[in-house]
Amino acid sequence: MGETALAVAVDEFEFFLEQEWSDGLPVVTPTEERVQRMLQGTRRDPQEVIGRIPPAMETATVRDAAIHALMAGCKPEYLPVVLGGIKLMLREELNLNAVQGTMGSAAPLMIVNGPYASKIGLHGGRGCFGPGFRANASIGRAIRLMLLNLGGGITELGSSTVFSSPLRYTACLAENMEQSPWESLAVSRGYSPDDNVITCAMVDPPKFCFDDASREPEPLLTGIADSMSTIGSLNVLVPRCPMVVVMGPLHATICAKAGMSRVDVHRRLSEMAGRKVRELKTGGVWRPERAQKINVDMNDEEHFVPGIKDPRDLQLVVAGGIGPISAVCHGWGGGSLVVHGTYDV
Amino acid sequence: MANDLPFINPTAGRSKAKVALAARPIDLAGKVLGLLDNTKEQADIILETVADALRERHGVARVVMRRKEAWSKPATDELMDEMAREVQVAVAALGG
Repeated sequence: MGETALAVAVDEFEFFLEQEWSDGLPVVTPTEERVQRMLQGTRRDPQEVIGRIPPAMETATVRDAAIHALMAGCKPEYLPVVLGGIKLMLREELNLNAVQGTMGSAAPLMIVNGPYASKIGLHGGRGCFGPGFRANASIGRAIRLMLLNLGGGITELGSSTVFSSPLRYTACLAENMEQSPWESLAVSRGYSPDDNVITCAMVDPPKFCFDDASREPEPLLTGIADSMSTIGSLNVLVPRCPMVVVMGPLHATICAKAGMSRVDVHRRLSEMAGRKVRELKTGGVWRPERAQKINVDMNDEEHFVPGIKDPRDLQLVVAGGIGPISAVCHGWGGGSLVVHGTYDV
Repeated sequence: MANDLPFINPTAGRSKAKVALAARPIDLAGKVLGLLDNTKEQADIILETVADALRERHGVARVVMRRKEAWSKPATDELMDEMAREVQVAVAALGG
């Protein structure tokens, strides 16, 4: 079939799926007119280069980001978050190249703080991980489409993922600042409340911790910390590993009412999450070479191996609706650090 | 192709530069074999076993074994250049 004939005969929704320019769901067809409208969302030059996306190392420009934002269903005002997010993900310490190729399933979860996120409707309240929130869904999806189309992180091509994960469709949320008893994640790091900040961590989907019994922080945090260090997860036995703990506002408030600040809870979870050597030896990912790499003597049965070895690896956020549930997202254990930074609006 | 379609090819205008593969030797007799350990557990054991077999069965003359800094990061340019200079055939550990 000639190309012109193809253009006439083609059903564009089917065409984008057949070309594998999609995540398996229909995309908004990128026409020049629509891309120009999307570019109204930024003052930046469309030809400005953001960077090269591994492993295919194709160059991404502002215009490329706009095309993918459009395809993903973004409004033009979401574009600054997409641009900020993809730039952040190209930082060396996040190690996107390795995560794109890994057998694991981690996805770059974006936690967006600051006034611009509120303005465009990024959601951090009830149902924040799930469907129904256009900004969350489409910003995260725009990133994924770039990782596929420009980065080549396609299963069986650039990616050797065993399972992949639902977070690889989209992974973007805000904090629930209306119901959080604490300052935001970004402010806790020293940013101003007026700064627009993205934090990005390579994580697996949330494991939810149900606790409607605890009225005091200690038993509540014991349950959450247990999920942070289950036998069979890599974090306990690698030198550094990111982790995101999303406390529901109810759980966070139990801690706050007992006088705990965000820093206190962060510290306590870091202290509690981990396993003794004798537990690690019962199964899971234990092997002597791994213990050696983290300087643990596997004959020291009572030695406690922390799941969080550097406080910067644990991202404690407050999101979700009111209810007795928090969430733990284990991070990628292969050598990826959490990145954060401001973005231009 | 993109110009003939009523919409934009999101992958259009990309570099399609092809890198030619290095010439493959017909046999390994008398050749210098490079082994790249990716630091994953027991990669060194597997590579050394491969080297022994290639020495015994195919007459590899000499083996150069090098280790990456971390398995999830690319080998440095210096390491790649060194391997390219010193060896005629290289085996890289992958996975773990």
